Amino acid sequence: MIYLDNAATTLMDPQIISSHQEYMHDHFANSGAVYEIGLDAKNKIEEATESIRDSLGIPNTHNLVYTSGGTESNNLFIKGLCFPDKKTACLGLEHPSITETLRSFKVYENEPLSLLKYFKEGALDYSCLPLLKEKKIRLLCLSHINNELGAITDSISLVRHLEKEAPQTRLFLDGVQAIGKIKFGKSMWSGLAGFSLSAHKFHGPKGIGLLIYDSKLNLNSQMHGGKQQFGLRAGTLPVPLILSLADSIKLAVARQQETQNRLQELQNYFLQGLKKLNKPILLNSFSGDHPSTGIVNFSFPPVEGEVMLHHLEKEKIYVGLGSACSAHSKEPSKILTGIGLSSEQARCSIRVSFSRNNTVAEIDSFFSAFSENYDKLLPTFTKKAVNK
Amino acid sequence: MNEKRTILVRYDEISLKGRNRKYFEKTLLKNIKRSLPTDKEIVYRVVRGRILIDLNQSVADEYQALLKKIPGIASYSVGISVEPDFEKMSALGIKWIEPFLEGRDKLNFCVRTRRSAKNFPNTSPEINFEVGSRIMAQLGPKGLVVNINESEFTLEIEIGTSETILFHNREAGLCGLPVGSSGNILCMLSGGIDSPVAAYLMACRGCRVHFIFFDNQPFLGRGGYEKVKKLAKIINRFQGRAKLFIVPFQDIQLSIRDHCKEENRIVLYRRMMYRIAEKIAKDQEMPGLVTGESLGQVASQTLENLAAVTCVTNMNILRPLIGMNKESIIKLARKIETYEVSIEPQPDCCSVFMPNNPSTRGKIHFLENDESKFPLEKLEEEALKNMETLKVDFL
Repeated sequence: MIYLDNAATTLMDPQIISSHQEYMHDHFANSGAVYEIGLDAKNKIEEATESIRDSLGIPNTHNLVYTSGGTESNNLFIKGLCFPDKKTACLGLEHPSITETLRSFKVYENEPLSLLKYFKEGALDYSCLPLLKEKKIRLLCLSHINNELGAITDSISLVRHLEKEAPQTRLFLDGVQAIGKIKFGKSMWSGLAGFSLSAHKFHGPKGIGLLIYDSKLNLNSQMHGGKQQFGLRAGTLPVPLILSLADSIKLAVARQQETQNRLQELQNYFLQGLKKLNKPILLNSFSGDHPSTGIVNFSFPPVEGEVMLHHLEKEKIYVGLGSACSAHSKEPSKILTGIGLSSEQARCSIRVSFSRNNTVAEIDSFFSAFSENYDKLLPTFTKKAVNK
Repeated sequence: MNEKRTILVRYDEISLKGRNRKYFEKTLLKNIKRSLPTDKEIVYRVVRGRILIDLNQSVADEYQALLKKIPGIASYSVGISVEPDFEKMSALGIKWIEPFLEGRDKLNFCVRTRRSAKNFPNTSPEINFEVGSRIMAQLGPKGLVVNINESEFTLEIEIGTSETILFHNREAGLCGLPVGSSGNILCMLSGGIDSPVAAYLMACRGCRVHFIFFDNQPFLGRGGYEKVKKLAKIINRFQGRAKLFIVPFQDIQLSIRDHCKEENRIVLYRRMMYRIAEKIAKDQEMPGLVTGESLGQVASQTLENLAAVTCVTNMNILRPLIGMNKESIIKLARKIETYEVSIEPQPDCCSVFMPNNPSTRGKIHFLENDESKFPLEKLEEEALKNMETLKVDFL
């Protein structure tokens, strides 16, 4: 199997699987219980929290809330802070857990301000800042790394500019694609309103995520019940998952430079390979001077992306899709049409996303399969219908 | 100690079956035995045009629910066998009715007797009176009222030669004929809403329905294949022992797309599906094909296009939904629990194979002309050679 859909999810690291099994066995107690093993579980969570703070350089100005993953973290923060009438903005290129959450305020006549026209060269153009001020935007929501385009938000610079030019606007980042790929340090958190992450995107388990937010902000709880996690997110804490989340973050951060080097090598090799194919291919993702995200999205009209995906699947090569070919179902990717692709170009695209586990040999196999299938499918998609 | 219960199963149309009745009864009994768990404590009997199932009270509720999915049963009741003594019958009736009177001022009630043991000294109306009056004497002051036409609680008494059974809860069955009594047929299952409903209706007419699915992999993903497996499993709950034939269809679609007139594509695809289905049905000794077509629902289901696909085969084509509207079909799909699976968003055809303007009136000679442009028989043979056969019971 050649797995090239790491932006969707990643294979769990064997170390994490092994320690997770132990955690499930050893730390099963309810961390809210007052007897010894409950207190032990509570201590373990506190240790995990400290470990995460250390790994990512999160200062005490920010709280950590464990959630089920990125979607819950995004919902919790956005609804907790802005529901129902606080003004928000986004590019519209974010994950649906951001865009749909913001759009859910529509019933209160509060739709997010779209900044799409300020998206230039893979980044938000700061010329939008006066508009944020004028529209009294309370929260700007962006992807730290865009899941389809690989575009990176320079959050440190953006926060500094916001503080100067639109001080009432705070920045929230969906960071699920960022952990382990780019460096995190104390400076990252200064002025940042919130940040979400999810363990399964960096070789951890599914079902555990984190919301990191400025403790000065008052968030309204979306889940009522016990008083766990500042009363903000009720529910028994999943101790083994939390411990594995902390381990996954620690491992991802420790290997960050190594991972980054690997992703750069793979991404460069892949981009060169794309050129060498000598086929009419349109690169949709961004790869400038900034660190490599391991995400490459490209179109190859008129061959449909979904058809290509299933042909590759037959050869046990798995890639991602931003759109679908079916006559009955999904629309082309809003992210791709958002950046100006025609609906055909968007439909005729796939996303390849690497992890540290991928190899150059796998990329060679991918190109060989892609090329063969492209040549096989092209006549079907180019041949004009018989109408006589 | 475990108290005994008797489930009394009433047939639907078997009662009309004259000299073949024994065969239908035997088939229904076999289906019931197959649907209920193997349990040494269960005793099955066929008496007086009914099937009686004696079993322990502890399993009666669980097992009786399984009868709801067996075609051929008009209704059934869980009853208790008692001595044919008016006092004992009345006492049991009182025990059952009393809880229903709690918290109400009035309860309409009646007694109905069916007396097949003609040597019993009283007639049915007399038994109704004897038991009814005893119950009324005790429960009349508490609000029980005799009302034959608007009864809210009907105490039923079956007096047979060997025993007397009392019951009050008549559960409706699926009706129709027992599966297997009409033979085997092959249903073209697409993954949409209609074809599973068509299969279900034919199962209720006594057919064991097998399934055929034309697979679009790798132009489409495995989703459609998985969806059809789920649908076949749901329909199979009503019958058991179905087969699912998965026929690779991509090469045929490619050939039609490349060589035939665009507007005829859909009808041509369907003509190929009918031909292949016929071959399998004949090979498996299934004397009919079932489809979920409903007149005028889509372009391929106009009178002309239905005729254009039907004429490629000389088999029985059964279209139980032909006169139904979409709403009624959806209602049935919800009832048989296929609807939620059918609406899962799985494409059934890749857009590259879809025509822009499909013909609504396919002309046979044009279609035949199109079919002369690709190696029809060779492709058909290839598809059959690569067909996968699954036993739905084991999915």
